Amino acid sequence: MAYWRGKTLGQSALKALLRLVPYIARYRWQVVVGFVGFFLARFFEVSTYYGVALGIDAIGALVQEESLPFGLEIWEIVVGIVSAVVLRFIFVSRARRAFRLVGQKVSFDLREQLFASVLVQGPAFFGRIGVGDLMTRAIQDISLVQRLIAFGLIQVVIMVYAPLFGMTAMLFKSVSLTVLILPLLPILYFYAQYVATQMAESSQQVQESLSMLAAHTQENLSGIRTVQAQAQEENEIKRFFKTNNQYASAFYEQARINSLMTAWTPWLTALAQLAIIVYGGNLVLTGALSVGDLIFFLACLNMLLQPIRMAGFFITMVARAKVGVERLCEVFDAPPEIIDRPTGEAPALIGGAFVFKQASFTYPGAVVPALTDLNFSIQRGESIGIVGRVGSGKSTLLKLCTRLLELNEGSVELDGVPIDRYALAQLRSQIAQVLQDPFLFGEPLSANISYDDPERALDLIWDAADAAALRETVLTFPEQMSTLVGERGVTLSGGQKQRTTLARGLIRNAPVLILDDCFSAVDTETEEHILSRLKRLRAGKTTILVSHRVSTLRHTDRILVLEGGRLMESGSHVALLAKGGLYAELERLQTQGQRSDFEPELV
Amino acid sequence: MNQTIPPNTGPKKDDKPDRDHAMFDAELSGNVLNFQLLKRVLTWLVPYRLSLWVSGALVLVASFAAVLMEVVISRVLVDYIIVGDANSPMPDLGLIALTQQLEATFGLPALYVAGGLFFVLMSIVALLGHWHRLTLIDAIVKALRDLRQDLFAHLESRPSSFFDRVPVGRIMTRVTNDVEALYEMLRGLGSLVGEFVPFFVALTIMLSTSVELTLILLLLVPVVGSATYFFRQASREIFRQVRNSVSGLNQFLQENLSGMQVVQLSQRQDQNRAAYTKINRLNLEQENRSINLTTYYGAFNDSLASIGLGIIIYYGGGSVVQSEMSLGGVILFTRFMNMLFTPVVLLGEQLNVLFRAMASGERIFQALDWDEQIREPSHPATLPERLEGRVEFRGLSFGYSKDTQVLVNVSVSIEPGKKLAIVGPTGSGKSTMIRLLGRFYDFPDGMIFLDGIDLQHIPSRLVRRRIGVVLQDFHIFSGSILDNITLSDPLITRARAVEAAKTVNAHHFIEALPEGYDAPLVERGANLSQGQRQLLAFARVLAADPEILILDEATASIDTETEQLIQEGLQRLMQGRTSILIAHRLQTIQEADHVMVLELGKVREYGTHQALIAQGGLYKTLHDLQFQELSTDVTAPGLAPE
Repeated sequence: MAYWRGKTLGQSALKALLRLVPYIARYRWQVVVGFVGFFLARFFEVSTYYGVALGIDAIGALVQEESLPFGLEIWEIVVGIVSAVVLRFIFVSRARRAFRLVGQKVSFDLREQLFASVLVQGPAFFGRIGVGDLMTRAIQDISLVQRLIAFGLIQVVIMVYAPLFGMTAMLFKSVSLTVLILPLLPILYFYAQYVATQMAESSQQVQESLSMLAAHTQENLSGIRTVQAQAQEENEIKRFFKTNNQYASAFYEQARINSLMTAWTPWLTALAQLAIIVYGGNLVLTGALSVGDLIFFLACLNMLLQPIRMAGFFITMVARAKVGVERLCEVFDAPPEIIDRPTGEAPALIGGAFVFKQASFTYPGAVVPALTDLNFSIQRGESIGIVGRVGSGKSTLLKLCTRLLELNEGSVELDGVPIDRYALAQLRSQIAQVLQDPFLFGEPLSANISYDDPERALDLIWDAADAAALRETVLTFPEQMSTLVGERGVTLSGGQKQRTTLARGLIRNAPVLILDDCFSAVDTETEEHILSRLKRLRAGKTTILVSHRVSTLRHTDRILVLEGGRLMESGSHVALLAKGGLYAELERLQTQGQRSDFEPELV
Repeated sequence: MNQTIPPNTGPKKDDKPDRDHAMFDAELSGNVLNFQLLKRVLTWLVPYRLSLWVSGALVLVASFAAVLMEVVISRVLVDYIIVGDANSPMPDLGLIALTQQLEATFGLPALYVAGGLFFVLMSIVALLGHWHRLTLIDAIVKALRDLRQDLFAHLESRPSSFFDRVPVGRIMTRVTNDVEALYEMLRGLGSLVGEFVPFFVALTIMLSTSVELTLILLLLVPVVGSATYFFRQASREIFRQVRNSVSGLNQFLQENLSGMQVVQLSQRQDQNRAAYTKINRLNLEQENRSINLTTYYGAFNDSLASIGLGIIIYYGGGSVVQSEMSLGGVILFTRFMNMLFTPVVLLGEQLNVLFRAMASGERIFQALDWDEQIREPSHPATLPERLEGRVEFRGLSFGYSKDTQVLVNVSVSIEPGKKLAIVGPTGSGKSTMIRLLGRFYDFPDGMIFLDGIDLQHIPSRLVRRRIGVVLQDFHIFSGSILDNITLSDPLITRARAVEAAKTVNAHHFIEALPEGYDAPLVERGANLSQGQRQLLAFARVLAADPEILILDEATASIDTETEQLIQEGLQRLMQGRTSILIAHRLQTIQEADHVMVLELGKVREYGTHQALIAQGGLYKTLHDLQFQELSTDVTAPGLAPE
């Protein structure tokens, strides 16, 4: 992510920036307004300087009692100056506004596209580009593009118009003086570029040491109990000083380079002024130039040098925006992970009979398959328990049932139809899946439980809460079902979260219910209570649940034992115990007190 | 309960008022210029005042030179050399005389002398300006580094009650962003000085040139000022709305990304897209409003200086004719226009920064002034070299806030080297007991004794050195494995750390890592398994060699082999130490000398495992539930959920 190494803006930058063209093209009229506006604004700016020069010459003429330039009275010149200023104000503000609006509109469009793109993505995509990374893209990268458009276009305008007007005006007054100043331009340009790279590098350093500082603080504060429990405060404060000081040094270094730039650029500019004073002064003495012209030259010089001062800034901006565009396009261009192509063969209502045939799955980038050659079937209405160690492929298997993941080899059939011939919407609305990680939105409890249908009646939500043994908990909150959860609301315990997501799954009363280890933080008695209710509620409907507790699994009709992505055993609790294999071993360990699961609800 | 100890009848310590921790979150006003606050920020600059003085002197000289550069152009070049008017009453600060003298000394044409003067001046401006900025920034950066250090050190020693209520994110903002905002402010104040010095030098010269014209031009200053005022008024609300809509956008996106699978499984894609578009559109509207305002304001400000040019020409024309001003004088005025307006515009901009920084300053000082802390003894008791390890809780009652009681009159004592297992449902107060023992909270009701010494008479730091705590969540600090065992305590040698790791069965997996003990760990220890983290936690405590051990046993699923290693490691860790265990594993409980059953903060049962089983109470019920349900097929009657 070499944001700052943007010295060479070769083809890749061009290619990346070309991707922006269609976005900007949508607002082409605004862009035209901007360019025309700036052109006129520049014209009136030069006119202002010219007016001042005329005024000075007019004053000189008055003193010498000579005829006024172009026969203009002083007040006429002043009216000219003021009108030029007013016109410039109108055009420049209109033009700036136009570009900035385009910037905002494009970022609006980019945001829309980004959100639409991520909605069709699956675990492989999110595994590759994490949530934090995506947020950075949505915030930082879009804002880079927005700034490139809003301010970059202005830079282009400055780079084109300023020398154009500056040069024209100067050449118009004195060719030789203009030529004398010219050699300074490349020197300034290369210097500015050199400083820009240095600045970019040091700002990278500052960024890095700042994030180190933030990380250090965050880490320390999250572990403050450990620090204090071990009486390590003094040490930690010393350790912090190192990071703190490092940041201060990096910051100083950046400021130093910045200041150097601030010092040198005006010095080099002054060098050009020096040329105007000495050589231009001579021209005035010989009568080739007027005093006003000399002042006009000094003003135009500023205009000529404007783009050079901005060059470094501009280069950095383009380089960073290029990276931003590439990172955004990576998201836009990613093909949807799961292709939704229903064929119409699927039954209108899912029954819930699954057949896995030689099913294998390997996560992208992984060497070892997560699932290997699975062959089994689940009858409609059956309740299935799945057990296995961490990493044995339980969650992966469940995700295949709702096509959150898609098989590499083999097939999954649902009610006799290959699962990829179902519409995703049907599959996911008729199969309720509760994930292992209990995720809640920062919304009221009721909205979290009835997430699939925000319009659902409140008493249905209470029923689901009942089934998930959540009622008592909700009743303890003053606002009950309207209680906001998450950062801005109440913080639920792990068990409460799990039961809320469980209610979210149960409320749909779907033909198939899939529970991925969602009792791990619920205490045994509550789990017992929920399971017995579940048995009644789910009679005749397919239920698949993952658990590592034998006490949970024994409630199911059939248990599948996974190990290293392979199906090792399957059968009823009693049959598997009789078989004396992995499951029996697990049962032995758990009953003999290796794990008590005494009351593991974490707070 | 087997033994009852009379509750503490000693005098009750006065209750501290409940603090409002929400205050720490409150958005502070920051709309008033608070000079007290500013003064307080400046106290951190005091040690670097020498740099500041030097910096001030440098900027004075540099500004003066910058003004002289313009005098060279207008007075020396135009008036003296071109117009040939050396005797105008207009001020030239002796530059014309200097030119004449240099002409005579070196026999050079006046034009070259003027060029030479200009060159010297521009070099002075560049060089001294650079030094001025360096010394200034150096002082500011160092002062803020110190401030940040003080802030961190202060926060580091706040008690648990503080960290319980205030989210880490809020504290983080203080240490990073808010200190940054102060930099912006101080740097801004510095550059204001850098701009106002030439302002006043130029103003002085202008006044001595033409009082009338200067005053007319100064009339434009209040125009800029009021434009800035109106802009501030109008923009404050708009900017706030922009900030809100942006954070709304981000929050929505973040949540949807984190819960993407839930969104997809609930078929909420279309609804959420529509909701996002709505927020996005709102944001666009807010941004547009802010663009309208800022573009006009910016363009207005840079037009005013040019209007000034018109005024100078108009007024100057008249004065020159009446010989009140020279042509060079008029030019001088036009050249000074920028020096006059830049600082005023900058002042407007700086005000915004200043107001923002005020809020940051307020937040920082609020944190620095947050004096919540554990009550430390005024006359600390002396502890023996090595404690025997007798722990006694006597009539302990406690609540985190006034209206809730987490512990009610808990009394229990543990003999040296014995193990006490505390069991009980969630919320029964187990963790609170060990937190009080670790001196993380003050407890006004009841007492705790270590070897007969009142815990409140021992400084909290010493308590924590003698009591090793293994929390459920083992916190990993980024650094190597070794760092995480020693916690950078210089007293713990590498050999001692390795020895500790060996004892608790951590050595094996550490050695298997490519870099062994020097293997880097990332935050939250993503590259370690749960079991490995637990073993490391044991090693960390063992290396510190406390006399008393507290263990909040982890409940996470761990594979059987690692489980064995952990149990074995734990046995060795507890060897010869008084241990208090919040146990979740039956094996751990069975091996304890005594079991205490807590419920709703009260001691329900106490005794050995066997005795409690025989007693047939709550412990027995919980215990049997586990076994019975696994060996027969009868659904357990079960206790009421929660």
